[in-house]
Amino acid sequence: MSDLAIQTHGLTKRFRAQVAVDGIDLAVPRGSVFGFLGPNGSGKTTTIRMLLGLVGATAGTARVLGTDMPKGLDDVLPRVGALVEGPAFAPFLSGAANLARFDAADRHASPSTRGRRVAEALDRVGLSHAARKKAGAYSLGMKQRLGLANALLMPRDLLVLDEPTNGLDPQGTREVRSLIRSFAADGTTVFVSSHLLAEVEQLCTHVGVMSAGRLVAQGTLDEFRRSGASRVEVLTPDPDAARAVLARIGLVTDAAAAAPVEAAASAGDGDALVTAALSDDRAPGGRAADDPAADQPAAEAVVAALVRDGVRVRGFAIRRTSLEQRFVELTGEGFDVVG
Amino acid sequence: MSSAEASATVGALGAGDAAASEPPVPPAVRRLRRGGMASLFASETATLFRRWRTWAMLASLGLIPILIAIAIRIAGPSGPGRGPAFLDQVAGNGLFVGMTALVVATPLFLPLTIAVVSGDAIAGEASHGTLRYLLIAPAGRLRLLAVKYAVAAVFCLAAALTVIVVGTLIGWALFPIGPVTLLSGGQIPVGEGLLRLLAIGAYVAVSMLGLSAIGLLASTLTVVPVGAMAATAILAVVAQIVGAIPQLEWVHPFLFSDRWFDFDDLLRSPPSWESFGDNALLQAAWIAVFGGLAAWRFATRDILS
Amino acid sequence: MSPRRTGPSRFRARTVVPAIGVPVAIALAILVPMQANASVDLPDKTPEELVAFAKAGDVDALSGTIEQRSELGLPDLGTLMGGGASGANDSEADAAASDTLGELVSLATGSFDANVYLDSDHARLQVLDRMAERNVYLSPGEAWFVDSETQTATRLGVADDADVEGLEAELDRLADEARAEAEAGLPDGEQLPTPQQLLDRALDRLDETTAVSVGTDGRVAGRDAYELVLEPRTDETLVGEIRVAIDGENGAALAASVTARGADAPAFETGFTDVSFAAPDPAVFAFEPSDAFAVEEEALPLPTVDELRQWIADAQARAESEADATADLPRPIVHGQGWATVVELDAATVAEMTAGHRAGGGDSADADGADSVAPATEPPFAEGEALDLLGALTTPVDGGRALQTSLMSVLFTDDGRVFAGSVPVDALVAYAESGR
Repeated sequence: MSDLAIQTHGLTKRFRAQVAVDGIDLAVPRGSVFGFLGPNGSGKTTTIRMLLGLVGATAGTARVLGTDMPKGLDDVLPRVGALVEGPAFAPFLSGAANLARFDAADRHASPSTRGRRVAEALDRVGLSHAARKKAGAYSLGMKQRLGLANALLMPRDLLVLDEPTNGLDPQGTREVRSLIRSFAADGTTVFVSSHLLAEVEQLCTHVGVMSAGRLVAQGTLDEFRRSGASRVEVLTPDPDAARAVLARIGLVTDAAAAAPVEAAASAGDGDALVTAALSDDRAPGGRAADDPAADQPAAEAVVAALVRDGVRVRGFAIRRTSLEQRFVELTGEGFDVVG
Repeated sequence: MSSAEASATVGALGAGDAAASEPPVPPAVRRLRRGGMASLFASETATLFRRWRTWAMLASLGLIPILIAIAIRIAGPSGPGRGPAFLDQVAGNGLFVGMTALVVATPLFLPLTIAVVSGDAIAGEASHGTLRYLLIAPAGRLRLLAVKYAVAAVFCLAAALTVIVVGTLIGWALFPIGPVTLLSGGQIPVGEGLLRLLAIGAYVAVSMLGLSAIGLLASTLTVVPVGAMAATAILAVVAQIVGAIPQLEWVHPFLFSDRWFDFDDLLRSPPSWESFGDNALLQAAWIAVFGGLAAWRFATRDILS
Repeated sequence: MSPRRTGPSRFRARTVVPAIGVPVAIALAILVPMQANASVDLPDKTPEELVAFAKAGDVDALSGTIEQRSELGLPDLGTLMGGGASGANDSEADAAASDTLGELVSLATGSFDANVYLDSDHARLQVLDRMAERNVYLSPGEAWFVDSETQTATRLGVADDADVEGLEAELDRLADEARAEAEAGLPDGEQLPTPQQLLDRALDRLDETTAVSVGTDGRVAGRDAYELVLEPRTDETLVGEIRVAIDGENGAALAASVTARGADAPAFETGFTDVSFAAPDPAVFAFEPSDAFAVEEEALPLPTVDELRQWIADAQARAESEADATADLPRPIVHGQGWATVVELDAATVAEMTAGHRAGGGDSADADGADSVAPATEPPFAEGEALDLLGALTTPVDGGRALQTSLMSVLFTDDGRVFAGSVPVDALVAYAESGR
């Protein structure tokens, strides 16, 4: 299964009574930029720590770059660059010395090329000018970049970046995002966790959503845009008939949508808004739901069915929910939309 | 100048320690690890000596012989049998400054600095957050622990040598230097006296290895380095208090501090290396037990910092 | 997809090694010393054979480490006596002499670790104190007592004017005279008893008071050793038993312990923890005091030939007059016998001894020490502060104050007599009352 850079089965972490990560099945394809989304405290960082062997799993398995973890930790980690829960450095050492120190801890890293590789990594994140400065005197943004430089010390097959743009100014954010795109362009798999929807939308090819320790959705970004996001809105004076028709052709009408209907009814001239989800797969399992059209009637077929049964259709729309609404649905919590 | 010498000697010995204290690993893995161990050890030793705090502690240890020498210089020689051992000899022979300072430093100041370095070993990294980056480098947990211990051992030697070298220099500056009077009543030439002084430095450094292992364990139990340091320092004091209570005599031979002052055997005629060996064995037992516990704890621990 | 559950087992190798290693290390630390006491089986010997074997032992060279532990319940007598002497306005030399004596007494009764070196001519006792050392060097014609604590080296030598050769000749003459006298007293045709016969007789006499047996073979200082056990046949004494470990190869005494009656652990034990019977490096006997040490000379109080003769005449005169008027003479009175022997010093003797002690003359102190059963417990109570000390050390009993240790009791009666013996205080009190 070497087409997956990260694959977990029932990965679970329990801290005493509290379940931090609850049986997740991650599948991160090689070469993807995988956005790992979720509110704070949803288990993202714990999952990353398990993948990197910092935390032992209570149950379940994890494979990283095709190797069982944490058994193959020593073989896999040299090929993985990571930024976990913010950058961290010895404040009394310079930026370059900090990188050299982490590099010395990797026994696959050659000491003879260390100086050059440190300089290159610093250059790549734009910190060459501050290489000799004590890390303690770095700004938050500089530390973040230094952390990224640490992940780039060696050629990596996988980058695991936990909140990589945290604390960066807009300019820095843009630079980091373009860096991530350039890694992806080199064929490196990037697993980036974020609570910023916009970041994920801009960067990622794939998305996984964590909520309260569970992986509630994962798939390509396009699947997310499609899946469960479309709903049918029918503006009609015959709501009961419309509901009956929609139910007959296999759509689930939305009782919760009654409120806007009332509002519309009071405002308008007796018309009611009947809504129904176009997809009945509420929690698409990503790859399992990649062909939603198969069992769904096309939009024009819905209209035809309504008209055929004499429902007076005064308005018809297929509404696609925004990603934000989708995530709110999945997690029950809001996201910061702005980056 | 003295410190440069010190750390050079230290490096060689410390590397030996690192290999010796490395927990057992399967041979196949060991071969793989050999190469990187020295690199990490060098890097961590350099990190220790790039810390301002390390130099501050060595400087404060160096202050002990300086204070003793100046006090004796100003106040005049003390009578026999008063004050710390060898104090009465200082005025007559500057070589005894370092020895007296070691006697003064061994119960508290030296263990205090050792507690700081060893208690900081893992907990300090955890509190900085650098522990996770060292581990995903990947340093390897047991390898990192072994290297951290070896670095603490290097500090033990550096600390003891600082006291001796500074003591000898200040003693040389302020007092006459002459043949060294041994406890047995005879005397030996200056050169041999210096060699014995160095042997005593090595003895004291070895004495601190057990405490370092305790500090290492404490360091793996918490992410608050001050807690690990304080616990280690308190244990050093408690061990000496227990060692002073005759009713607990049965426990004395097991205390890591039991042979801290037996370096006097190196000042006898003939010099006895037996206590050096016994002390090394005692410390080795503490290293085995507490190093083992630290390895067990650190290998299984979730790194959440 | 992977059927192997690597999660929970991930730390196995890392966990198992220390998890097994630590208990193994602890077990080894406990078991290895126990192994050292593995059973020893030497050829059986009867007590008589064992004593003869020990006596025939001809060890004249060894080096080893002695550990002496004393739980007599006595204070540190060395300090006590030294303190008493230096508290007085004695001359420095006298104080030093008294210190030396005190040190030697504390060596005999205290707890210490020491190295012992011995060859045919020299002996050295090196007491290992923390950051200090006391040494006794003995070599032909001179002896050193060296104390690093006080930075003094005391040379005990024969006074320059002493006639050593004359004295030796006189002693030889006296010995010959005694042998001739003894042989003359023997029945016709008999020679002086052989050493073996002497030993047998001594054993017979010992047997009257003491049960002598051979204990279990054991290891002392890494050597196979016999154990000779002496148990007093009387229960009037405080001594429960004495055990002596005797080297199975050369008959040297390796260890001895004295256990009080009813006690589990010895009140006094001394023995080698490490011993070698090879001649030590001669360098260990060489002593040249350091420039930093104060060197004191002390002449051994050797009598002249004339004095020796005078002493012998005095002793004979005393022995003769003993038959006439015992009570008048200042000398110890002995009560009881064997293990329960109690020595009484009457008021006059005590006064004389303390006077001699106060004078600080090395000769009188030594001479008295030789007479007294327990010089160690003889307090310098002429001094005020020593009296206070005595008060603190002793407990009041009927008719005086008593010092009780686990192996010995001393009674100071209100009328100035002193009773001492290895018996309970009650027995001393009884003697004191009956003798009044």
